[in-house]
Amino acid sequence: MIPLSHYLVLGAILFALSVTGIFLNRKNLIILLMCVELMLLAVNMNFVAFSHYLGDLVGQVFVFFILTVAAAEAAIGLAILVLVFRNRETINVQDLDEMKG
Amino acid sequence: MQISAKITLLLTPLLLAVAYTTFAERKIIGYMQIRIGPNRVGPRGFLQPIADALKLLTKEVIVPTNANRYLFLTAPVLAIAPSLAAWAVVPFDDGMAIADINAGLLYILALTSLGVYGIIVAGWASNSRYALLGSLRSAAQIISYEIAMGFALVGVIMAAGSLNLGEIVEAQRGSVYHWFLLPLLPLFLVYFISGVAETNRAPFDVAEGESEIVAGFHVEYSGMAFAVFFLAEYANMILISALTALLFLGGWLSPLEGLLPQAAFALPVIGWVLDGGIHWFLAKTAFFLFLFLWFRATFPRYRYDQIMRLGWKVLIPVTIVWLFLEGVAVAFGLGPWFA
Amino acid sequence: MTVEEILFYAMSTVLVGAAVAVITVRNPVHAALALVLAFFATAFHWVMLEAEFLGILLVLVYVGAVMVLFLFVVMMLDINVARMREGFARFLPVGLVVAVGMMGLMAMVVGAGVFRIPGPERAAADHSNTAALGHLLYTEYVYPFEIAAVILLVAIIAAIVLTLRRRPGTLHLDPGRQARVRRNERVRMVKMHSEKQ
Repeated sequence: MIPLSHYLVLGAILFALSVTGIFLNRKNLIILLMCVELMLLAVNMNFVAFSHYLGDLVGQVFVFFILTVAAAEAAIGLAILVLVFRNRETINVQDLDEMKG
Repeated sequence: MQISAKITLLLTPLLLAVAYTTFAERKIIGYMQIRIGPNRVGPRGFLQPIADALKLLTKEVIVPTNANRYLFLTAPVLAIAPSLAAWAVVPFDDGMAIADINAGLLYILALTSLGVYGIIVAGWASNSRYALLGSLRSAAQIISYEIAMGFALVGVIMAAGSLNLGEIVEAQRGSVYHWFLLPLLPLFLVYFISGVAETNRAPFDVAEGESEIVAGFHVEYSGMAFAVFFLAEYANMILISALTALLFLGGWLSPLEGLLPQAAFALPVIGWVLDGGIHWFLAKTAFFLFLFLWFRATFPRYRYDQIMRLGWKVLIPVTIVWLFLEGVAVAFGLGPWFA
Repeated sequence: MTVEEILFYAMSTVLVGAAVAVITVRNPVHAALALVLAFFATAFHWVMLEAEFLGILLVLVYVGAVMVLFLFVVMMLDINVARMREGFARFLPVGLVVAVGMMGLMAMVVGAGVFRIPGPERAAADHSNTAALGHLLYTEYVYPFEIAAVILLVAIIAAIVLTLRRRPGTLHLDPGRQARVRRNERVRMVKMHSEKQ
């Protein structure tokens, strides 16, 4: 039988990897969005694991809502990204410095 | 292993059916256009699919220069894997499925939505503009029609009160009037039209569009890699036909049930034919498969913006209105269907 | 090792490998495909945890729709990959330190004995996770559920409004106007005597 801690460690590894990804790819907006998705996935993994091991379905309800909101976030995020690319011809984070004083 | 025996028993006839669907397509469209169709290989051309397969197997699979080699060769596998895996939960008769899972319909919906990856990856990996254009067209089309298809399935789930395909069929037991075809007629039409669009078949085959973008996403493919895309397309067609039969036409249930006296079903051989069983399911599936071929021989290709308009502005509103009406009908326990 | 453990470790390896690929590969298309693989492995884990509805939903919504959208955008935009990779090597040490540090801290927390609880008994074969979750969603959490629906609606409208643009010069046909055409708008009848040589 797999103990709960295995799933928690897996979630922790995923979360650490996605944070690292944000550090490494800090210029590419698309990879940044993907790292955010990966982060939410790590969180969801913990929710589902706890829900199973504690026998409480509410954790899965929470994951359901996270999935909903994350899908909306991805859609709007990509729409904004397309707009940025259309106006600036780049999605490099460092080029988006119009507001620099 | 019992399960691998079951899988073999399912996949062998399925792949044969796929091969002979291509033959049926050429023959039927031939006769519709007052031609004879293939008739040279074997008696009346019946060995034609075998000859085609042999030919494609011995041809070279050309990988274009600058193409992404691994993705290029993975794409056909991505296309065919979901269309075969989806068959795991399809019941051919009462309880005759490889995996009788609770959320069968959701599983099928999830797997059919994966078929798009084969097309996108093929289009991108071939490093060709025609291929990329075809794959982007197809991806947008499949995603759009998935919504209408999902809504139509919600209607079926509401009427049956279950996600299990076997229970959905059992909910239609009674007589031919209990089939969901009658109370869910608009959803049935939406489902089948979306199914035709999902499989990229005529009149919605702009992804291929041989007269505008030469052959769309598989323009760079040859030999067996090319054939696998076609296997996937035909397997998907058969899957959609089988699902339409299961969800709206009572699957293996006999249309004569409830119309003939009980004594008729007790007769030795005739009773077995009249009673429900796998043969009714196969007959219904074959009928819808025939419709696919008929459409291809009859309708001119839609323009791309017309396809999008049909999906978003016609089919989705129709399903939403009908779901609302169905909700009212379920709330009041209307008729023999929702009681 | 039991079959369950073998499956767990195999799928965890796939998941972690895919996650590493997402953050390290050069090409954004490959990163998106690696993320698809990560979602698959996660869906597998969730099904093992008897959350089959969420597992299938993850495949349906994320793999079937959200990631297709990502791929779509990545393929349509003409991105200069080389410029995007600038600084990757420079930030690698910092990233590694952050990763190891976070990993160590979280391992200290979750590795504690409190979480070493064994799993519950497997549910009976006729237990439906979908039905149980649906019951909970439509009774106790019906208002949050409605709010989630509104959020999705807002997202749909926002995405359309953000990206909609009327491009001048496109040959757009209006079927209504086509159908309303009268003969005298298009054809002018001219009375004319036949010319003689």
